[in-house]
Amino acid sequence: MKRLLAVIKVKRIQFIITTSFTLVTVLVMLFVGVMLYGKFAQTAEQNAYLHTQQILEQVKYNLDSYLNGMTQIFELVDDKIRRSKGLTADKLSEQLETIVETRKDIVSIAVFTRDGTLLATTPSKVLRSNTRLTEQSWFQKAIEDPTNLSFSLPHIQNLFKGEYTWVVSMSREILLHGPDGEIPAVLLVDVNFKEIDDLCQRVGLGKKGYVYIIDLVGNIVYHPQQQLIYVGLKNENRSLPLKHSYGSYVEETQDETRLITIKTIDQLGWKIIGVSYMDEIVTTKKEISRFIFWLLIFVIVIVLFVLHYLSAKISRPIKLLERSMEKVEQGDFSESEPIRGSHEVEQLSLRFHLMVAKVRELMHQIIREQEAKRKSELEVLQAQINPHFLYNTLNSVVRMVGNGKNEDVITTITSLSKLFRISLSRGKNIITVREELEHVRHYLIIQKMRYKQKFEYEIVLEDEDEVLNCLTLKLLLQPIVENAIYHGIEHLADPGRIRIYAGLIDGKVLLQVSDNGLGMSPDVLAQVKAGYYKSEEGSGVGIQNVQERIRLTFGEEYGLEIASEQEEGTVVRVWIPRQVAEERDRL
Amino acid sequence: MRTAAVKRFSVYGLVVLVAVTLFYSCSAPLTDGEVDKKKTVALIVRMKHGDYWRTVKLGAEMAAKEYERNLNFYAPDYEEDASKQMELVQQAIADGSETIVVAPSDEQVLREAIKLTRERAIPILVLDTVGKDSAVKSYIGTDNYDMGMKAFEKMVYLIEKKGQIALLGTDRVKANAKRREQGVLDLLPRETQVELVANENIPLDKKQIGEWTRELIRKHPQLKGVIALDASTAIGVAEEMENSGLRDKVKIVAIDSPPEVLEYLQEGIISATIIQKPLSMGYLGVKYAVEASNGEAVPSLVDTGTKVIDRENMFWSENQKLLFPFVK
Repeated sequence: MKRLLAVIKVKRIQFIITTSFTLVTVLVMLFVGVMLYGKFAQTAEQNAYLHTQQILEQVKYNLDSYLNGMTQIFELVDDKIRRSKGLTADKLSEQLETIVETRKDIVSIAVFTRDGTLLATTPSKVLRSNTRLTEQSWFQKAIEDPTNLSFSLPHIQNLFKGEYTWVVSMSREILLHGPDGEIPAVLLVDVNFKEIDDLCQRVGLGKKGYVYIIDLVGNIVYHPQQQLIYVGLKNENRSLPLKHSYGSYVEETQDETRLITIKTIDQLGWKIIGVSYMDEIVTTKKEISRFIFWLLIFVIVIVLFVLHYLSAKISRPIKLLERSMEKVEQGDFSESEPIRGSHEVEQLSLRFHLMVAKVRELMHQIIREQEAKRKSELEVLQAQINPHFLYNTLNSVVRMVGNGKNEDVITTITSLSKLFRISLSRGKNIITVREELEHVRHYLIIQKMRYKQKFEYEIVLEDEDEVLNCLTLKLLLQPIVENAIYHGIEHLADPGRIRIYAGLIDGKVLLQVSDNGLGMSPDVLAQVKAGYYKSEEGSGVGIQNVQERIRLTFGEEYGLEIASEQEEGTVVRVWIPRQVAEERDRL
Repeated sequence: MRTAAVKRFSVYGLVVLVAVTLFYSCSAPLTDGEVDKKKTVALIVRMKHGDYWRTVKLGAEMAAKEYERNLNFYAPDYEEDASKQMELVQQAIADGSETIVVAPSDEQVLREAIKLTRERAIPILVLDTVGKDSAVKSYIGTDNYDMGMKAFEKMVYLIEKKGQIALLGTDRVKANAKRREQGVLDLLPRETQVELVANENIPLDKKQIGEWTRELIRKHPQLKGVIALDASTAIGVAEEMENSGLRDKVKIVAIDSPPEVLEYLQEGIISATIIQKPLSMGYLGVKYAVEASNGEAVPSLVDTGTKVIDRENMFWSENQKLLFPFVK
């Protein structure tokens, strides 16, 4: 597991953004989906129930009004007959004809005596034989219950020649005014069943659902599959609807679940029964769930793509930054392009680049300084064993020996020996001020010998105890003194004077070399300060070398100060930090 | 850099486009009806008109609704128009029917239909005609032999087991009529007092049927009954009997129930008729066609049954729907 997580780099920003957002989206979508499904499914079911109820109500209303209309027509016919006192059968038929003509759905109107003899009919048709009309239900009901209008079940009208038509018969006993007073008769109005059949056939409950009608005792008035039921291919359970007048219940057989809804036509006691199939309601539910499922998939796919894009956009600059940091880590400080991205990342990148630039700058500086230091040290090393100086001095010594000045020879050689000893000073670069002053004193002694007492010198100390123990760089003063002799005093007519001062000022050590020599013009002074000017002879260690060494060792705030005036002389001040040497170093 | 960004954007755009298209294509069927997706059953019968075939169609429509199939109805204008029917079979197959239910006019139509359906592995069911071919999933129809026997039995009952009778078919040799005739002939020896005086096939022509009937009565004055092996012949015989005033003397047993037969039946000129159940035929034809196309096993032979109808029972409510299938 850990390895797997490592492989897909779980901690990556891109991964974190994508997964967390996807998770949130999926959870929200699931929640919304479940809620929507619940609501939709519930609504779908309720709608199915409501829909069935409404359709049945509509069927009931239509049938009611149709039957009411028919009842009114029956009453109208009855009224006509009652008022037509003394009319002949032909005249009566003529009157009835006008009513039949107004309604296409009236198949026939007929009046029979109680023993079944036809009195009048319209439209006038020939009575068939073998009708058995007195046995027919409409006739018997009229005789049995003379006051109430009776509706028969739909049946084939077989009374008159012509077509066999499916009719519903309305019948009741009426009174006829005959020559012998009132005689009872049976009035029959046959209504085409097609109207009712059409009305019911048009009703659909879903794709498979249907409506059927039964009478009070369970006979089928209308059923779309009536013939199949009669031949035994279909069966309709009519026992439950028979017991109820209103309401709905769910009927379960082994194959299917059906919602049965019942309404009753009060007038006749006929029951309208709606059959709808639950699997169609369930199908709606399935469709909803399928829709929501696909919606979920769709949204997740879209979200994944969008998140992938977004997270890549967000994390890319960070990755780039990381990569450029890695490069720096590996030591590649080369300049790279700034990273574009969000404000924070851009700022971060900018700062980083600035930092890298600074580091790079510092590194270059260090390299430069190191190089300079090495160069200066090399120069110093060279100066330590300057053959030119040695040659000149030894020449002077030879001359002195020639002149028999043994005292001077001893002094010179002794000083030279001391000079070299300090100069070498066991390879150390840092020596005490005392040693440095000693060194420069021996140097001055030798030079004084060489230049035949052409100049005087003095060494002045201030705070003697402390300043002598302070640390300084080796060979700081010699090049300055060398300059003073070669450039300031050598060509001077008057006796020269060199003054060396050492003291503590403002917490720093000041070593100062002043002469009364020729001095420098401002131009030359500027050149010297800038480090361009270098003496042809001498140690070869220039002012610039001294300056550089001080600065590289002690920092920028230390170094040389040169003041010079022509015909007046030059003052060179050397500032170094006040660092007291350890006891053992002094030895 | 710039082109890469453009490229990436166009890729994302494409993905979104595809996703939206997918989304709509999978949600679209929710709003559209699934009528077009319903499979189609083809019903090819022998004639467009007539209550018999209309009833077959009615039954087929009921089954199609129940099993949620489209029903394509094909029929020639005239009965026995075999070549036209053959075209219709080809048409039905070209229309992409899932199953073919056919009432073939003759052997050749059946053979052609079997050949065509076998090529395309479409199940085929045969209505009304019983044949023998293993390719046919199911034969659904009337047992015509039984029909003949029922007609003979009814006749024997009507003439009270003795007397001369005649058997009348059409000159068009038809497998169904042959089977009916065989049913009559096979039962004949059992009734020793019943004598078959004539057994003939004559053209379906009113005039010729009338002449044959007159000739028959002249030759056999003692004739008690006529069994007509199809409805049209029965109508012709009944008409002649009514005209010659023999309506009470000679009993007629008919086959099927067109309106004229029913009129004569109520009038008492035709004494009885043996009816088939075309509604069941149509209904079961489509029902088993659907089941066969679903790969379910269906019975190879289905007898839809017959019923003897006479003046007594013709208006019984359970018979009314059989005899008068259409609400007019």
